[in-house]
Order: sequence, then structure tokens, then C-alpha cells
Amino acid sequence: MTHVKRQQLLRQASLLLLIGAGLGFAGAPSARAADQVTQDRLLNSDKEPGNWLHHHKNYSSTRFSTLKDINKDNVKNLKVVWTMHLAGVEGGGIWTHGGLEGTPIVENGFMYVTDGWGSVYKIDAHGGKGVLLWKMDPKTDHDWAGAVACCGVDNRGVALWGDLVISHTLDGRLVATNKETGQVAWQRQVADPDKGEVITGAPLIVKNMAITGVAGAEYGIRGWVAATDLSTQKEVWRTHTIPGKGEPGSDTWKDDKNSAASGGGSTWVTGSYDPATDTIIWGVGNPGPDWDNQYRPGDNLYTDSSLALDANTGKVKWHYQHTPNDPYDYDSVAENVLVDVPAPNGTSLKLALEADRNGFAYAIDRTTGKFMWGLPFVKKVTWTKGLDQETGKPIEYDASKQVQHYNPAVTPSRENKVADICPGNMGGKNWPPTAYNPELKLWYIPVIESCNRITVEESDPQKLKAREFWTGGGPSQPFKITGSVTAIDVTTGKVAGKFETPFPNLGGVLATPDLVFSGQPSGEVIALDGKTLEKKWEFNTGGGVNAPPMTFSVDGKQYLAILVGLGGAWDKWFIDATPELKRIQPGSMLYVFAL
Amino acid sequence: MTIGKRSSSVTLIGAVIVAAILSTTSAAFAQSATAADPTDAGKAVFKRANCFGCHKWHGNGGGGYGGDALSLRKTELSREQIIETVSCGRPGTGMPFFARGAYDTVKCFDMNRQEAGSNMPPEANTFLRPNDIEAVADYVIAHIKGKGEPNYAECVTFFGDNSRVCDVYKKAEGQPAAAPVATGAKPN
Repeated sequence: MTHVKRQQLLRQASLLLLIGAGLGFAGAPSARAADQVTQDRLLNSDKEPGNWLHHHKNYSSTRFSTLKDINKDNVKNLKVVWTMHLAGVEGGGIWTHGGLEGTPIVENGFMYVTDGWGSVYKIDAHGGKGVLLWKMDPKTDHDWAGAVACCGVDNRGVALWGDLVISHTLDGRLVATNKETGQVAWQRQVADPDKGEVITGAPLIVKNMAITGVAGAEYGIRGWVAATDLSTQKEVWRTHTIPGKGEPGSDTWKDDKNSAASGGGSTWVTGSYDPATDTIIWGVGNPGPDWDNQYRPGDNLYTDSSLALDANTGKVKWHYQHTPNDPYDYDSVAENVLVDVPAPNGTSLKLALEADRNGFAYAIDRTTGKFMWGLPFVKKVTWTKGLDQETGKPIEYDASKQVQHYNPAVTPSRENKVADICPGNMGGKNWPPTAYNPELKLWYIPVIESCNRITVEESDPQKLKAREFWTGGGPSQPFKITGSVTAIDVTTGKVAGKFETPFPNLGGVLATPDLVFSGQPSGEVIALDGKTLEKKWEFNTGGGVNAPPMTFSVDGKQYLAILVGLGGAWDKWFIDATPELKRIQPGSMLYVFAL
Repeated sequence: MTIGKRSSSVTLIGAVIVAAILSTTSAAFAQSATAADPTDAGKAVFKRANCFGCHKWHGNGGGGYGGDALSLRKTELSREQIIETVSCGRPGTGMPFFARGAYDTVKCFDMNRQEAGSNMPPEANTFLRPNDIEAVADYVIAHIKGKGEPNYAECVTFFGDNSRVCDVYKKAEGQPAAAPVATGAKPN
């Protein structure tokens, strides 16, 4: 057959398929121009209240939905309406099983979710039931990726662009899947597991680009954020989170062992975008080796920082570092929530809010990168006495010192090889996302109330090898760890309430006008009063909640959706701090609730 | 009786029988011409009991999020001591015990659960039968203990060749890595 004829036949076949698809879903909206996801729709995602188009709901990462058919008066009647078993529980590499950490994306009644190994599922959520339309299995190389995934077989979800579903795989690919057919349109290797790089975060779509972050700071990577042009499938820019020799910030790595080359700085949580200034704001993780900060004297920029990048070029506009020369593994990978708060004289403060693993919540002026305020959001902080009110740096930070010890009595170091730190190294808040209610001006943080023990091992450059741990020690769990949902009033910068939970919050939160939804790794999905944080509803899923709730509407009816399947870092590395969770079985299930 | 003090002749006979049975069965299913490795049963236990979750496939262990699993390549433990460690775990560390009844019906290091107190090692997710524990010890001695840096051949023997997990060793050894999987061109 000639090439041309084959093309024609294929085109006819696709047309027939499309017609077939249209007939197959008569009564339900099928492919149409309105389903194309454009930059305009992504900019105005909150004008589509029934949809959830971005990983964090909108470019500001508020995870706030205006839907209020489910509210504090009737939430007690919330019930499961459908469920769906997903796959991806199998293990690989150093992992015995996968888990679910994803946020479902919903567009016009169709839902897109991922499992830990990166399979994408398209589900028709019309008519009060869930029907699986297709599953795209990217055939992730389990052992290649799983052997260098520090913290679980995880995938936090997809993004939408044009007629494509954009997703990542743990083994480092960016995959574009046709939204209608579930066929892979193209894919591109963005991260290299041979270097210890894997991808767990959802992509962020900005204009015609997919923005990708990377994980691997426990394996001696040099982190980056990369932009792929979705039209040409070529890389537009890649900004390393650790400056190259001679670049600004490179002088914050002061050793003679080239520690910067393996200095970590992962970017595995999806960032935010400020269209007003065309700026991407992205969190950067810990330096490596995690606990031997004497190996890497200097502030170690841009680890543990929020980084503002020019969306077109990837150039660093500003940075704000939270824990210079970090000896604790206090990542700043968390999402930055972009919030405008009224200020005197009719002006408004343009803030970027970040709840850091170091236990402090920060408000930064997102136009300048200047510190505005900060406060502890966990019950117990021991590593520092507090933040300098002007700079926001830990009070004990001494710019003239190359190695920081903060509160030396509790800080891990070569001199203090066994140290108990609060928060523990999973942080006061890990990747599970916060939510912000712009009406109540309350910001809800999913908290791990914790301490743990760090044992330092002096790093030997001879032991630095691709695909091997590069941590300079490790944690153990002699203390029981609990959790909370903590609310912060962003007009005052003060804690407005705390709902304590028996287990750490490993799933994140969702805010609606008068409710906050969250979950527990012991299985409960909960709804709290948005103002008082009083519990209004609870349902036990029978699995471990390790993913954020989201809400959507279809055919005029509001639903709550959440993935359930305990995996991730907790299950393997931190379970001794919550022995009761050992009985939670691996699972992979989608729950959808409605009144 | 204290596990780890059992007669070595009995265990040796056990291991030989197990190895013989397994080599027969695996030979029957073997697709390659190479003779089955008598320690394949031990390798299967190494995987099933998730030894590689901390010690890694190559046994070097190393620091990490779970603390420091000791190197089985550099271990000086004898076969008997490895059997004892797997059976009883290592008190005061994260190395779990894999023998059913350890510290309860059978003392470990002359201790029961009460005597071990806060040094009681964690219970493994999978209990192993005595012959499985012997098999995994034999595997560690034959393929891991005393070995130098992990290499490509060892890696492929462990994982098979369906994954790119071993390519990094191939690169290090100066051989061309397997061609990258085609990054799906557009259909049509």
C-alpha cells in the first residue's frame, strides 16, 4: 500500500471512529470545539465552576471551588454514589506496591485520573455513575524508576491542553494522549532515571508549554524545572535549581568537592502561574546530602526556596530561601498559593503563600520576592526560636557562617550525630496541597504534627554514585506522629483554628464557600466547617487517604471525588510513627460522593 | 531452642534437598540452555520478602530514608549468623525478624519479647519458613557477600533484561546501553 493511500484510509478510519464515538455517547456531550482546552480557558478556569481544569484548580493554586450545593447544612447527607477500582498497586524497584496521590481533573463531565504508575483513566461521570471510557497505560519501566523513587510509586495527575491529556510517568516521560481515543499522540523523555531523576508531579500548562518538575534529591541529582512546547514537542527552556559555575547564586556552594553538581533541589510539586507578570512560581526541595550540611558549606541556593521564573525564558526573577544550608531535609517544594489581600489606601498586597516543611507558613510579596510575614503552623518547632521579623530568616541564621547549626542542641551535624527534630523530616506539611477560601480569607494547611530522629553519616564523595541514595544519614521514628488541619487568617497572619487528627494529613485539603474537605491515612474522608473547623461529616473509605479531595458538577449536580490508596513515603519509611496504619492495606480506588 | 544454633548438618541437608528440588523444577521450565542456579530459590525469597527494599538488589544497602541497611556485600557474617539475623532480626535496629514465633515460642539471642523490651526488632511483613531462610542465606553467600562493586551482569541476573534498570552499569562499563525505546512517533 502506498503511503498516501494508507494515510487516507487511516483518516477515514479515524472519522468513522469519531462518528462511532459520537453515537456511542448520544445524550452525552462528545468531542466538540468547546472541549478544546485553550490558554484562555486555563486563565479563566474559575469561570467554569463545574470543571476542575488545573491540578491546583486554577493558576493561583487555591483549590477553592465556588460550588455550594453541598454545604455545611446538608453535608451530613453526603453519600457514596459510585466508585471505581483502578490498577497500579503492583510494586517495582524498592517498592512493594503503588499508591494514589493524584487530583482528578474534570472537564464537562469527563474525569481524568492517574494511578501511581502513570496510567491515565478517562471516566464518563454523566448520569450519576462512572463509566470507564479508556485507559492509557504508558508501560512505565517499573524497576528502572521504582529503584530510584525515594518516596513511593506516585503520580499526582494530568493536565489538559487542546485535545490532549498531558501526563508524566515515574520513568521520566511527558506523555500526550488524545482525549477522545486514549491513544498516545506523542511522548518525550524529560527526566533521566539513569541519573536518579523521576517524575511524580502533574504538569502545569502555561500557554503552549507543559512545565515539568523532577524528583531525586535523595539520589544526588541537580534539580530543574523544564518547559516543553506542546506544539513542537521540543524543549523551550530548562532552568536548573542549582546555578551553574559563575551564575548568580553559585557562590553559595563553597566547598571544593563540587557538591553543587549533586546538590539536589528537586521540584516535584506542581507550581503556580501569575499571568499579570507572566511569572511561574515553583517550590524547590532540599539540598543533598540531606543531613550532612557540612559537606556543602554555604546557603545552597536555590534549595529550600520559592523560585519565580519568567514564563517565556525560565530565567530566575527572584527567589526566597526558607532554610539556608538545610541540615533537616526541610524542602520548600510546596505549592505557592497566589493571593491578593486588601491593604491600606485601597491597594492590595500580592502574596505568594507557602507552608514549608520547616513548620513555618510564609507570605512573600510575589512581585518582589520580599518577606511579608511568617508564623509556625505546627504545634512544635524546636530547630529555631523563630523567624526574624524583617527578613524571615531563622533567628539563628548567621550569614557569616558557612555551616548553619540553628538551635545546635537539636540540629543534626557531624558533631551531633543523633538529633531529634521537630517538625520531623517529612515536615510540618509535605506535598499534600493547601486550600484558600478567598471569601473567608482563610488558608487551610494539611499538617503533619511531628518530631523524628535523624542520624547523620558523614558523606564520602567516593560513595556518590548514580542511582544510589545520597542522604548523609537517615531518619527513624521513635515518636508518635499526629496531624491537623490548621487555618491561617491571611489578613492578620495568625492561626485562626486547628482541627487535630489522630494521624498525619497525607492527602491535602479542598475548600468550598463554607466547608473544608480532607482525609486521613486511616481511611476517613471528612468535611469541616470552613469557619470553626468543626467536623460536619465523615465517611470511612476502608483504605488509606493519601490524595486530595476535589469537587465538580455535571448535569447540574455537585460531586466530591477522591482517590484512595495508601502508598508514598509514609507507608515505607515513616510507618513506625503511626503503628496503627500498618493494618491499612494497599489499594487503588476512586470514590465519588453526592447528596 | 535458640534459632541460629541449629545443627549446620541438618540445615545443609535441607538446603541441598531444596536446591535439588528447585533446580529440577526450574530446569523443566527453563527456556535457556544455561543450567539453573541452585540459589534461585534464595533469590526468589530475597525478592518476595522484600530484602531488596532496604538492602537493594545488590545488597549494598546504604543510607536513605529508612536509615542505614548494612551492606551484605561487605558483611563478615557466616551462613549461620545470616540465618540467625534473618530469623531474629537485629535488636535495636530496623532489621525485622522473619521467623514465626521468634522472641515468643523461640528465644532469640537468649531473649524473649519481654527481655528484648524496647530493643525488640520489627516483625517482617512476610514470615519465612526455615528452609526459605536457609535458601536466602545461601543466595547471599553465593551472589552477594564478598563481591565488589555491582556490575551489569549481576544486575541483569537479578532483574532480567526487560527493564532499563541495569543500563547505568552498562554505561559505566563502557558498553553501549540498550537503544532507547522509541518515543512513540505520531500515529499516521
